[in-house]
Amino acid sequence: MIGAAPAQWRGEEAASSGDWEARERRRPVIQASARRSLGRRRRAGRFVQVLCVLATAIGLAPIVALVYYTAERGLGGLSWSFLTHAPVPEGIPGGGISTAIVGTGEIVGLALLMAVPVGLMTALFLHERRGRLAAAIRFGADLLTGVPSIVIGIFAYALLVRPLHHFSDLAAAFALAVLMVPIMIRADEEAMGAVAVDLWEAGVALGARRWRVARSVVLRGAFPGLVTGNLLAVSRGVGETAPLLFTVAAPSFAMTLLIYTEGTQPFPSEQQTAWSTALLLLLFVLVLSGIARLVAWRLTRRAR
Amino acid sequence: MTVLSGASDLASVKAAVRHRHARRGGRAYVVLRWAAAGIFAAILTGLVVSIAIDSSQAIAHSGIGFLWSGTWNPTANQFGAGILVVGTVVTTLVAMVIVVPIGLGTAAFLSELAPRWLASPLSTAIDLLAAVPSIVVGLWALLVLSPMFANHLEPFLKSVPVLEWFFHGPAYGPSILLASVVLSVMTLPTVVALSRTALSGVALADREAAMALGATHWQVVREVVFPGARSGIAASLTLAVGRALGESIAVAMVIGNSPSVPHSLLSPGATLGSAIVNQFAEAEPGIGTSSVIALAGVLLVLTLLVNAGGQALLRGMGPGRLRRRERHSITQVVA
Repeated sequence: MIGAAPAQWRGEEAASSGDWEARERRRPVIQASARRSLGRRRRAGRFVQVLCVLATAIGLAPIVALVYYTAERGLGGLSWSFLTHAPVPEGIPGGGISTAIVGTGEIVGLALLMAVPVGLMTALFLHERRGRLAAAIRFGADLLTGVPSIVIGIFAYALLVRPLHHFSDLAAAFALAVLMVPIMIRADEEAMGAVAVDLWEAGVALGARRWRVARSVVLRGAFPGLVTGNLLAVSRGVGETAPLLFTVAAPSFAMTLLIYTEGTQPFPSEQQTAWSTALLLLLFVLVLSGIARLVAWRLTRRAR
Repeated sequence: MTVLSGASDLASVKAAVRHRHARRGGRAYVVLRWAAAGIFAAILTGLVVSIAIDSSQAIAHSGIGFLWSGTWNPTANQFGAGILVVGTVVTTLVAMVIVVPIGLGTAAFLSELAPRWLASPLSTAIDLLAAVPSIVVGLWALLVLSPMFANHLEPFLKSVPVLEWFFHGPAYGPSILLASVVLSVMTLPTVVALSRTALSGVALADREAAMALGATHWQVVREVVFPGARSGIAASLTLAVGRALGESIAVAMVIGNSPSVPHSLLSPGATLGSAIVNQFAEAEPGIGTSSVIALAGVLLVLTLLVNAGGQALLRGMGPGRLRRRERHSITQVVA
């Protein structure tokens, strides 16, 4: 509640000199009371300000600590041979994570091949259509974004692993694609919505084919936004572990799975591998979302 | 003035346009668009149907009591989700207790108090936290936080008079408390980003009106900005709950994985997600696997309900209240 005014403040303009004198007498009292009130309210504000700064400091601590510890513990194990050699069994020195890097690359690449076209075309569908069907698909995309990744992993297992009786990169890629598609749809549609409608109308009015308008006006105008959205989706997909648990043949075929199995071992050499892989993954994901942000930033700056 | 004087004229023009589009409109493009939308709809339906089929097998075996029965004993073919649901709800609640004050305080600082040159890099730093893979958070929590908790924080919490009721028993490190801390770290960016957007979306005129009444900065924030951003803040918290319920791998690394009734926040526990991670590989083909998939079904229903609520609240914020760029940033962070 903002300081309630005492009743006497609300008086009408003084009608006579007697009222004026009475008010002059009250003035110091009123001023003192107002000063006290303001002081109290300012102190409360300062107190909350301190609390907010504290909360921000605590909120920033995890990201700082995460990056610091991962760098500190992971840097020691990073080397060229770590990147280019296959994992070796426990107890044998040397070895690296080349299979995991290649595996993650393959899975994510395959997932992109599936997800990008579906995401882009669905977004175009939503962009050019209104009505219940579009609203339902949009709502579905929002809900699918919130579905836990482990549930999506189970779905891929039930659909592609169990019936075919073997684990495969294809099933893993499918799981990641299901995870990424809704993010892509919403980001793509958002980017397309930023393109001025009159440009689209002008294209259609010229008698251009719909595909031609979509390609030359919508997709071109939305390009930086599309890049940003899809890069963010990729960075999400690269870091996922749960969908790969039940779809990839062995932990050494994906970076995140390798971190999981090695990190939960009690041996220092295994944990070292986990930290170094985590550092690599963290760097990749941060660089990717850094690029995405840079593109988005240049986009908004040009729009201004 | 009107070129189209009657309904019949309008209809004929429409027909001509439709004909023209059919001829020149690029059939392949239209078909592709429909195909993509169809594929997406099929995936959504397939996901729900395939999980429902396996879940129904598990429920046919264990009865509807599967949902609340507390025993999870695969060797005796006894399956129940009860304890896991409790574990999921408890970890999420504790995570919210941690993340709500920190997240809202941070959002208020970034949106209302900090100068722009400070707010923008700090916001980016918090947003980057959302990009950190959950497995890296899990690794950090397991190898760095867990020993720290076991040696310092947990003995301290046990020594505080009132808190000791929540924190008794031996301090191992891996515990419900540690899992909740991990969840709060992972949901913080969601809370901060959405709340911050909601707070800065409150109209300048409203703030000015309060200031003109003599309100101090903090009074403006408390009386005008927070009430104005209510639905956005509620949406951010709901979506954060949705994320916390569904996180599996990082929780599985730090919760200790013991499907028993938790008697203290320091005791190990299990959630739906962590149980799926741990039980799936060992599950017997057939009813064992189906029961684990049924856990995923329970988790799916829980998160769908919570997220549908969150989306409804987010929509309640209204398109007029948020500028397009802000909505854009929301979709990026929520993703």
